[in-house]
Amino acid sequence: MIAATEVPGWGLPEYVVRRPGGLYRSTNPSTKLAIAALEVVAAFAVPGWPGVLAVFAAVLATAAAARCLRGLAVIGLATSPIVGSILLINLFLLPGAADPIARFGPLAPTWSGLWFGLQTVARLFAFSAAIALVYLTTAIDDLLADLARRGLGRRAVFVVGAAVQMVPRTIERASEIVDAQRARGLDTEGRFWRRARGVVPLAAPVVFGALTEVEERTLALEARAFSAPGRQTLLRVPPDTIVDRVLRWAAVIGLVAIVGLRAAGRLG
Amino acid sequence: MDLLKRWVARQFTTRVIVLMPVGIAIDIVLGSTVQQALKLPIYLDSIGTILVGVLAGPLAGALTGILANLIWGYLLPAPIGSTTIGPFAITAGVIGLLAGLWGQLGIFRPRRGGRASIVAAAVAVVLVGVLALYTYARAYASPDQFVNITGFQTTDFDRSRLFFLAVMVVYVVLVGAALYLRRDVGAVFAIGAGLVTGIVAAIVSAPIAAIVYGGVTGGGTDALVAAFRAGGDSLYQATLKQGLLSDPMDKMITSFVVFFVIGSLSRRFIARFPNGEKALGSEPDVDSPAASES
Repeated sequence: MIAATEVPGWGLPEYVVRRPGGLYRSTNPSTKLAIAALEVVAAFAVPGWPGVLAVFAAVLATAAAARCLRGLAVIGLATSPIVGSILLINLFLLPGAADPIARFGPLAPTWSGLWFGLQTVARLFAFSAAIALVYLTTAIDDLLADLARRGLGRRAVFVVGAAVQMVPRTIERASEIVDAQRARGLDTEGRFWRRARGVVPLAAPVVFGALTEVEERTLALEARAFSAPGRQTLLRVPPDTIVDRVLRWAAVIGLVAIVGLRAAGRLG
Repeated sequence: MDLLKRWVARQFTTRVIVLMPVGIAIDIVLGSTVQQALKLPIYLDSIGTILVGVLAGPLAGALTGILANLIWGYLLPAPIGSTTIGPFAITAGVIGLLAGLWGQLGIFRPRRGGRASIVAAAVAVVLVGVLALYTYARAYASPDQFVNITGFQTTDFDRSRLFFLAVMVVYVVLVGAALYLRRDVGAVFAIGAGLVTGIVAAIVSAPIAAIVYGGVTGGGTDALVAAFRAGGDSLYQATLKQGLLSDPMDKMITSFVVFFVIGSLSRRFIARFPNGEKALGSEPDVDSPAASES
């Protein structure tokens, strides 16, 4: 809960003037997005291990500095099912691989499969971590305020902001609906056809419940001159220092250079 | 140029702008919680996108799909958020675009006729079933016949047979159930549109799954990819075949749910959206409570 205390001398509520503190957290959101884009492109466009390892090292160092290694670890754990799948399928079933590590009856894990699986997993981790670092260190309203300052329309800002706010509420409601339908005898654990019959009883109340808000919200927005012409006045704009701008342009130039070198076949 | 501007502006009224986050939330919530509760081998993550596309238009649908995947992938914290969803934003965009096209063509409008049209639709479904059975008996009786008729390799025989049978069974069952439950021929069109959307979604998502994730996404469909790869398929072939098995079924079910939802909403609510008139059709809905009130 944000305390709406007044900041002496400014005459504005605290939530309007608060500044994110700490290393990397205080970096401008657009700069973080540009750096993440560079890291994602580097992880996929640079062949072999160097690109992936460099991105991995950069992300881990930044996360340590921003004190969000624990958050990254949670996201790493969340990707464990896909990691397991990638390793197992490639280890045993990489087409054309003919260098077995061992034989277990019809199964023969291969070195090529292991190598390819590890590389894919490393790319996945580097890609996920680079993106996750942005949202672990950036408040959504800061990101939206910065994008709005750079010309993103109020409609786009509203759509993203409202969706992010609406998802947790709708999830809570969906869980209640699942519990209620189970209490009324809906079989969610039985055979395939019994479970398939539950799609409409579960999906329809979630959809209808969410749609009930549309009319009221439309009227509320129109009453607040949502579709009026002209630019919106922003109460709070995240700082954009010279360091931020230099970093952002460096990331954009790096990104273009990697894509160009890859297209020209200079990266191998 | 002016016509294009008006066409774009028409799709982004305040009501549509309010509907888009609702569609995004529906995609994410049904794709995570309800799908987990039922443990079905389908995604259920595009109901909101198709709903917005059908009611608002192709651009609004495409944007809803893209934003849903980007928000789900990159803005929501774990365990709701999942970075593996993000790259499939392109597929979601194409699904929304197609849904908007179906909406503009009036595919999802109810076609409640008399008994004659229902019987005609039922006869059409039986004919499709008989044709499917004939094709199945001709082409899939033996691997040799399959190779002669289709020109594909023998190794594709069993998998193609499984795919063909599964899609036809789901199509006939869904259409039959829709006709029985809704007494509405429009369900046939909506589920047919779902079939086309599913095939396109599979073609678009296969290279993404192959390039970004090495063909696997951590879901139940990974077993299918593993089976295809064990049969000697390349990474792209395996992901495409897996997609062609699961996507058409998922989108047919999703389209049926959207058709059901649109048919259950009040006419006044639907009519206020850009494609509302096309989603309603010209004939008055004699069964709806809204119509009987007025």
